[in-house]
Amino acid sequence: MDLVELRRHDYALDEISQEVLVAFGDFFRDQCPSSLVRESQPVGFSQELWDRLVEMGTTTMGLPESVGGDGAGMVELALVAEEFGRAVAPVPYIEHVVTSRALARANNPALADVIAAAANGSRILALASAPVMPGTKQLIPAGAIARDVLAMVGDALVLYSADTPPAHVPNQGSTPLAWWDLFSLPNRTVVATGEEALAIYTRAHDERMVLTASALVGLTEYALGLTVEFTKTRETMGVLISTLQGVAFPLTDIATNIAGARNIARKAAWFLDFDPETRPELPAIALVYAAQTATQGTQQAAHLQGGLGFTVENDISLYFLRSKGWGSLAGDPTAHLAAIGKHVLSSVN
Amino acid sequence: MDFGFVELSAQDRALQQEIREFLAELFTPDVFALEHETGSGFNAKVYEALGARGWLYPSLPVEQGGAGFTALQNRIMELELDRQDARVMMMKGTSSLPMAAIRKYMPAEIADPILKECAAGRAVVCLGYSEPDGGSDIANAKVRAVQDGEMWAINGSKMWTTGAHISTYTFLITRTDPEAPKHKGITMFLVPLHSEGVTIQAIRTFSGERTNIVFYEDVQVHDSMRIGGVNNGWTVLHGPLDEEHSIGIDSNGGLTDVSVGVSFSRVLGASINEVAQWALKTASADGKSMAEDTRVLERLGSAMVDYEAGMCTPGPMGRVKSSDGLVKQAAQLQDLVGPVGLLPMNAEGGIGVGDIEYAHRFAQGTATYGGTVEVFRTIIAQHVLGLPKAQLPGAKVFMAGKKK
Repeated sequence: MDLVELRRHDYALDEISQEVLVAFGDFFRDQCPSSLVRESQPVGFSQELWDRLVEMGTTTMGLPESVGGDGAGMVELALVAEEFGRAVAPVPYIEHVVTSRALARANNPALADVIAAAANGSRILALASAPVMPGTKQLIPAGAIARDVLAMVGDALVLYSADTPPAHVPNQGSTPLAWWDLFSLPNRTVVATGEEALAIYTRAHDERMVLTASALVGLTEYALGLTVEFTKTRETMGVLISTLQGVAFPLTDIATNIAGARNIARKAAWFLDFDPETRPELPAIALVYAAQTATQGTQQAAHLQGGLGFTVENDISLYFLRSKGWGSLAGDPTAHLAAIGKHVLSSVN
Repeated sequence: MDFGFVELSAQDRALQQEIREFLAELFTPDVFALEHETGSGFNAKVYEALGARGWLYPSLPVEQGGAGFTALQNRIMELELDRQDARVMMMKGTSSLPMAAIRKYMPAEIADPILKECAAGRAVVCLGYSEPDGGSDIANAKVRAVQDGEMWAINGSKMWTTGAHISTYTFLITRTDPEAPKHKGITMFLVPLHSEGVTIQAIRTFSGERTNIVFYEDVQVHDSMRIGGVNNGWTVLHGPLDEEHSIGIDSNGGLTDVSVGVSFSRVLGASINEVAQWALKTASADGKSMAEDTRVLERLGSAMVDYEAGMCTPGPMGRVKSSDGLVKQAAQLQDLVGPVGLLPMNAEGGIGVGDIEYAHRFAQGTATYGGTVEVFRTIIAQHVLGLPKAQLPGAKVFMAGKKK
């Protein structure tokens, strides 16, 4: 790789992006208190919140104008994801947005109805992580509330549909996971085949990694804030615990990781929008680093509240449990590392 | 947001080409060999050749010895210098901090000729900050300066004065009022290092970089070499220190790196490139290419994540991240490559130009340069997270001689 490229490193948000950030920050803060997150357990879905999110235009903003969307790019969607993560909101924002964008990208008239239903939020879409194999069930993120799952089967990209979603499987992150036996589902629509299919799927997977990274950034930042406030009022041996380096330094490391993870995720989003060929490893880097940041950050944030941080009643528990519960859905970080390594090799070859 | 290539005008493109060709000719193998041997972070031939064109501090106006470069042209120059070798240019960066204070606080008739010599590459200024019994707590300086008429007598010693042996001046922190609280009793001087009573001794570090201990024994300095007011040294220092701790925060349309630790991360980047090239042309024990070994792919991927994190983490946080990432990954890359990764530059059978062998040694110093990572974590705790200051016994001490 060229270490001294004359590129800009401009992370400043333009006015529209700043408005998106503020609007969705306000929305989730007002509409999604932690009580709603708790009430929505164990499935991790609130129909009421979903309906409000649809009213905000969240399900249309990322769709192209040709199908009635607003044509927003990944940068805006990543900003929304940060705020969604900050609230650990019980809605399938990431799965739904990346899958509906993938369908729109296929430019296939047979999909018009499902795209319209996805745009108005009446039909929730999900993305499978692994290719479809006979006799193999898959845990599908948002699979307990989605009626349609997009998956690769051989060299085809296929949308599998069911009349009702399969039963929810309780899980650590309280997300709407469900087992789908995609291979045996009769109701299917071929979205694309060959190179086009792979390109659309890869892009959707990249988008999911970037939006998950952004969500984990927001998630970790909120958890950090809870613990910072705690350490400013908690005393030991007559001093505030936040004045102790054994407490303050881990907190600064979380803040440092968050600041970097946020910038990488936003940068990866920008590259997907404007220069997707040049840095194909960025979405995976964004996800791995954000997952690492969230795993370590929420663990430390919980731990620095001592026994209190270990209790279910403390909101930090919601954040700790979802750091893995959300991060794992986009794939094993070590597998992503190998993929990043391959890109490094091709950059010097 | 914008991460695109910077569009260059025909004029700037020509300048970029001119700089690239000039530097390629200037950075001859003997420049690298000399740096490898001396670890001085300096090369007289390179500095004077750049200075002669106004290219050492090119954003200065022409009449001050610069070339009147725009921010973009300055960025082009920085990147082209990094393309050659950042190590030799270290003392340029060091000098730029005191130069800012000299410009701001010394009268023009004294400052201008000194700054011109610096811009011409004939004078270098090192930092006389740390002392033998204290490192990053520089406000605790004990080197004494005592006034006698127009002259000051300086006594004491300074540690980690990198570049003292090739510098013309040192930007010296002295104690002028031992009775005052520690931040209010210091005064800054620009001390010519050829003065009588100055002794410079080499300290070798295992990065290969040379630093120094400097002894001051009744060194006589004229009052005109004082920078800023008597006992006002903390204010004078703060300008350059703030600059040192915050370079890159201003986004400048994306022409500046956001991370303070970019120069550390570039060393990691060079190591990644070197290991990747090694993997592509090396076979493992079973005859397969190392490039297909998942162990290699995962380690390269992991190093790449930390490289990107170092480059993208903003401000002083980026300085901590770049150092931590380099320390961790340089060790892991060396493990990956095995014993051959221990061979230095130009060794028989060595890898590339010895970047990973160097990186592992260099990495350790990055946790200390310009203030330890712990100092930076303290800054982040207070300024980013708003945590309260620890009430440490030495925080507000009065200097020796004053009882409570």
